[in-house]
Amino acid sequence: MLARSGLGLLRKPATGAMFGASRLAVSRMIVARSVSTVKASHEQEQEILIAQRKNRPQSPHLTIYKPQLTAILSTFHRLTGVAMAGSFYALTCGLAASSILGLPFDGASLVSAFAALPVAIKVFAKALMAYPFAYHFANGIRHLVWDFGKELTIPGVYRTGYIVLGFTAAVGSYLAFF
Amino acid sequence: MLSLSTRVGLNTSRTALFRPALIRGIKTIPQPPGYIVGTVNDAYIPPKPHKLEGSLHWTSERIVSIGLVPLVLAPFITGTSTVIDSSMSALLLYHCYAGFQACIIDYIPARVYGAYHSYAMYLLTFGTGVAAYGVYEIESKEGGFAGLLSKVWKA
Repeated sequence: MLARSGLGLLRKPATGAMFGASRLAVSRMIVARSVSTVKASHEQEQEILIAQRKNRPQSPHLTIYKPQLTAILSTFHRLTGVAMAGSFYALTCGLAASSILGLPFDGASLVSAFAALPVAIKVFAKALMAYPFAYHFANGIRHLVWDFGKELTIPGVYRTGYIVLGFTAAVGSYLAFF
Repeated sequence: MLSLSTRVGLNTSRTALFRPALIRGIKTIPQPPGYIVGTVNDAYIPPKPHKLEGSLHWTSERIVSIGLVPLVLAPFITGTSTVIDSSMSALLLYHCYAGFQACIIDYIPARVYGAYHSYAMYLLTFGTGVAAYGVYEIESKEGGFAGLLSKVWKA
């Protein structure tokens, strides 16, 4: 505590600007002799500490890290989950709103609207649904495996991660294209 | 001096980069330097116990997730029924609700956004209620969620 208050309240002698290499030892003695501390209350010390925190560097953000399987799969789990949950809410809320407000939107119109799309767009839309579904399903099971305390090692995390990617590629492709 | 200027630059670019345009107009609560509230000698004040939060919440989420696995697989393997599809849709709705809750807790924290955190939660609860009615509509008129999705898939 004493050292901390000393940091902020250190009084440097006026000789600071005249430092030369030869006079270093002498001036060090002068500094050592003329250093004085000021009495500070706990509140003042707290203020000094907060002022110091303002000047501390912030730790770097995500962008400095090399992209790793762990972080990427975790990000995609949330992204696919939010995207699919958003679609589910959009569909159900849309049907509820059309039922309550009498809008011309129901399952049949959705099916006919999808049927009218060009084949390439249909396949693309199916892939856009199939891969996130396969991925979130497989990675969800990976999370459940972790919740039971299994595969919680670095090799385990990578092994299950690659299994999930393989499952996504196989099942997502099967659902989207076959 | 160099380190100071880069440090300042980092700070300013961060606030510009990591705040989407949507929330730039929203007043946030200014955070203390170092994000440290109070002093190191303050006693820890634990949150009040809540029936629906904490370990029970965690367990209920896991039970729902485990229950979803066979219910989601059923339409692909054995075919579905109204009972299976209704259970699946109900669990899925709770799964989505819990997931959105987690996102609100992470990205709209009360610590920074104050009352907006609660507004987001209210909006989510309202939206979930509307979605629940939509699920009822799907089950009663559209032949189930899996049936509807299958019709879209084959269209």
